[in-house]
Amino acid sequence: MYLARIDGTLTSTTRHETLEGCQLLIGRRVDASGWAADEPIVLLDRLGARRGSTVVVSTDGAAVRRRLGNTSPARLQVVGIVDRVTLAPGEGRVSK
Amino acid sequence: MRGHVVLNKTVPNLEGTRFLMVEPVTAANLAAGNGEGGGKTLVVADHLAPDRGQMVAFVEGREGANAYWPKDAPIDAYCALIVKDVDFPQLPDEHTLPGTEVQE
Repeated sequence: MYLARIDGTLTSTTRHETLEGCQLLIGRRVDASGWAADEPIVLLDRLGARRGSTVVVSTDGAAVRRRLGNTSPARLQVVGIVDRVTLAPGEGRVSK
Repeated sequence: MRGHVVLNKTVPNLEGTRFLMVEPVTAANLAAGNGEGGGKTLVVADHLAPDRGQMVAFVEGREGANAYWPKDAPIDAYCALIVKDVDFPQLPDEHTLPGTEVQE
């Protein structure tokens, strides 16, 4: 699992049948210092994460598969919306 | 989506599968909406038939093979949807983690 920031959303003309009705968000993985990765990722979301939210992303495709069906070609999902991050001394960047 | 790969010969469970050349789009290019990719091109299996230049979302990993269930298929990248619109403004590369505090 890792942290990501939600940057946007997408809509589709066609999608795999198991993904019909699923909310999809576009995010960028962030590291402990808050630096966002260059390549965006598409995430399934059931929690209502919004733009600017920091979320925890699970890469457990088996969990998605159990929920959406055996043929579902999806892996990344939002499993939590972050309230607060506490880092060990010397890690990351302190805000405020 | 940049093009197709046509196979002369393939393993049994992949017969009839379409293969696409796709180029991942960086956040900067996605926000600019300039049609540029910028990532490392890869081959994805596909059943949705996007046109060249259309944006798609693909899954990487063995989940790509789920689409072939109950058959087994040696697939690790699969086109899961064709994009209609993206709402993706350019946000800063540096993100302030919420309530970040460093332990004493």
